[in-house]
Amino acid sequence: MLEIKNLHARIVEEDKPILKGIDLVVPTGEVHAIMGPNGSGKSTLAYILAGRDDYEVTEGDILWNGESIVEMEPDERAAAGVFLAFQYPMEIPGVAGLTFLRTAVNAVRKKRDQDELTTPEFMKLVKQKAGELNIDIEMLKRPVNVGFSGGEKKRSEILQMSMLEPMLCVLDETDSGLDIDALKVVSDGVNALRSPERSMLVITHYQRLLNHIVPDKVHVLAHGKIQRSGGKELALELEKSGYAEFSEKAA
Amino acid sequence: MSVAVMKTKAETSLDEDFQKLRDRLPGGSGVLAVRNAAHQLFAERGLPHRRIEEWKYTDLRNAMKEALPVSIGDETPVTIADLIVALGPFAHVDAQRVVFVNGNFRKELSSVDAQSGVSVESLADKLEASGDADSGLLGEFGEGAPDDDVIVALNTAYSTDGTVVQVEPGAKIEKPLLLVYMRAGREAAFTAVRNVIEVGAGAEAQIIEAFVSLPGAADAGQANAVTRISVADGAKVAHAKCAADHGGQVTHLGNWAVHLGKEAQYDGFQLTQGVSLARHQIFVTFGGENARLDLSGIFLGRNNDHIDTTLVVDHAVPSCESRELFKGVLDDRARGIFQGKIIVKQIAQKTDGKQMSQALLLSPDAEFDSKPELEIFADDVACGHGATCMELDHDLMFYCRSRGIPEDVARVLLIESFIGEAIEKIEDEAVREAFTASAVSWLAAKK
Ligand SMILES: Nc1ncnc2c1ncn2[C@@H]1O[C@H](COP(=O)(O)OP(=O)(O)OP(=O)(O)O)[C@@H](O)[C@H]1O
Ligand SMILES: [Mg+2]
Repeated sequence: MLEIKNLHARIVEEDKPILKGIDLVVPTGEVHAIMGPNGSGKSTLAYILAGRDDYEVTEGDILWNGESIVEMEPDERAAAGVFLAFQYPMEIPGVAGLTFLRTAVNAVRKKRDQDELTTPEFMKLVKQKAGELNIDIEMLKRPVNVGFSGGEKKRSEILQMSMLEPMLCVLDETDSGLDIDALKVVSDGVNALRSPERSMLVITHYQRLLNHIVPDKVHVLAHGKIQRSGGKELALELEKSGYAEFSEKAA
Repeated sequence: MSVAVMKTKAETSLDEDFQKLRDRLPGGSGVLAVRNAAHQLFAERGLPHRRIEEWKYTDLRNAMKEALPVSIGDETPVTIADLIVALGPFAHVDAQRVVFVNGNFRKELSSVDAQSGVSVESLADKLEASGDADSGLLGEFGEGAPDDDVIVALNTAYSTDGTVVQVEPGAKIEKPLLLVYMRAGREAAFTAVRNVIEVGAGAEAQIIEAFVSLPGAADAGQANAVTRISVADGAKVAHAKCAADHGGQVTHLGNWAVHLGKEAQYDGFQLTQGVSLARHQIFVTFGGENARLDLSGIFLGRNNDHIDTTLVVDHAVPSCESRELFKGVLDDRARGIFQGKIIVKQIAQKTDGKQMSQALLLSPDAEFDSKPELEIFADDVACGHGATCMELDHDLMFYCRSRGIPEDVARVLLIESFIGEAIEKIEDEAVREAFTASAVSWLAAKK
């Protein structure tokens, strides 16, 4: 279970507060969606969950399965089951995708006291998962994300996610840049990971994604706070009304 | 007018060693005359120092305070198993090996296939056998290269051995030729070796020089190595060198003179790691049109390592292409230097030359000095150069760590990513993997 309590955070470099008291609970086994206007702090929240040190938590706490993760390093959080699919996945020239994946998978397995995968075991797994996501294995021999199209990068994030078997999946606009067919493929990949043990936080601007990945709850984040929460019908309502209501509230 | 300066301890001992040992060095009286002349040049000039423009970043006279005793007639016992250990990842390259221990050829450790059109000999054997006919092997540094370089002169005076390779026109060396120069035994020594490689018109060769040390070898060592290589018209050569030692007080003075004929293609690569003081001089002369040069390298330094790469590329004829890419990774108080001079003579129209040097600084005390120089006398040319200094990418670090990769592993991965662009220039996959593995072992060795 993820519990975010009165979370305040700022950008270290600029001394600029972004999150101004977020309260949010995602029970184990549930999928919650976060929507909200551009610049409202959605990616900031996602990065803070993953442990990016450009942000500083100034107040409040983040509990994952009852324990605070605020002081944990990003790789420790990954081992504890936290995964962030980036809104803008990064390119790593000179490091083959397969090498990267294998290094990550085995690092995480080691920390979870699981046996590291041998080369044949790893290859078998990656071929199967890549196949499910329509990713050509040849693409993974190329450097991580280098020269990938926007949609290919997003698929490669979901492949990393399914290889690392996280317990908390945070997806930051995974749907943006995907064509209609790819959206279906990626959503199927995400849905395959849905389980009673796993929690998911899906950040999106579009109700369409939520037709594929049906959320248990929808939250609206604006001006650094959760302004409203509701069922999946809230997404439909936002589709019609936009965020005008929340900008007034803040003014 | 040069003012006579007091000889340093190193200069004095090198001078004395030469007087003592010169009669034991290989070659007849003609060869000795060449050695004497070279020694004379060294005795007059002494070790280069910072007031000489080309040496302003590497004050060798000050840095090399003492000279180790010159190694001659070494017989340190070394087995094939030792050789494999010393070679590290290079042991996996399926190559013909020419092995030297402390500057002396070891036939029993070497494995050279007999191949028609290709001859591979020990320089010492050749100098001894031919009397004075081969004194040119020592006398000339290389066509177009300077004939009064003091470091090369020091090599000429002292060379105990080296490899002489001749590839006849049209021939192709079947397997890569791995020239191994190993430090072994507890005696710290100064070694001087010299390679002369001639690749005939339309011939092909792949040559690797590996300067390595056996675990347990003396903590200190000084090597002076010269390789003269001529690539005749239409010939194709891949030439890579690895100066990989284990950290102690190791000095490496490397010198390459490369001469390229018409339509020749030459790919050169250098890796330096675990060497405390290195100066690599590379002189390339284009002697025929439409030749192609691709030169790259990686230098890895930590602690107080000082690694200097100085190259001069002389476009003396029209329509040639040159590319240089050197990348350094510098930690602690290590210092890297890259000086790249590109000369384009007035007749060398249509020259296409590009040069890049980049350093990744892992510590605030590490330093990289880059001095590119373009001397262009022709008007229809495309030449450019660049130099950058950077730190590990903070965002990429987070990306790796968010995937569970611990900081130390992520660092190695990102440094590999940085040097990868230069290593990828090595065409042969097995050779490329050996160089990669060597560099990675250095990256991972940090406590
Ligand atoms: N490193 C940074 N430096 C300066 N400002 C930043 C930085 N990171 C975030 N911000 C600012 O913080 C605010 C929140 O940004 P964030 O990326 O979290 O928004 P978002 O809700 O994800 O928006 P979008 O829907 O456009 O992706 C924005 O005003 C943004 O400009
Ligand atoms: Mg965002």
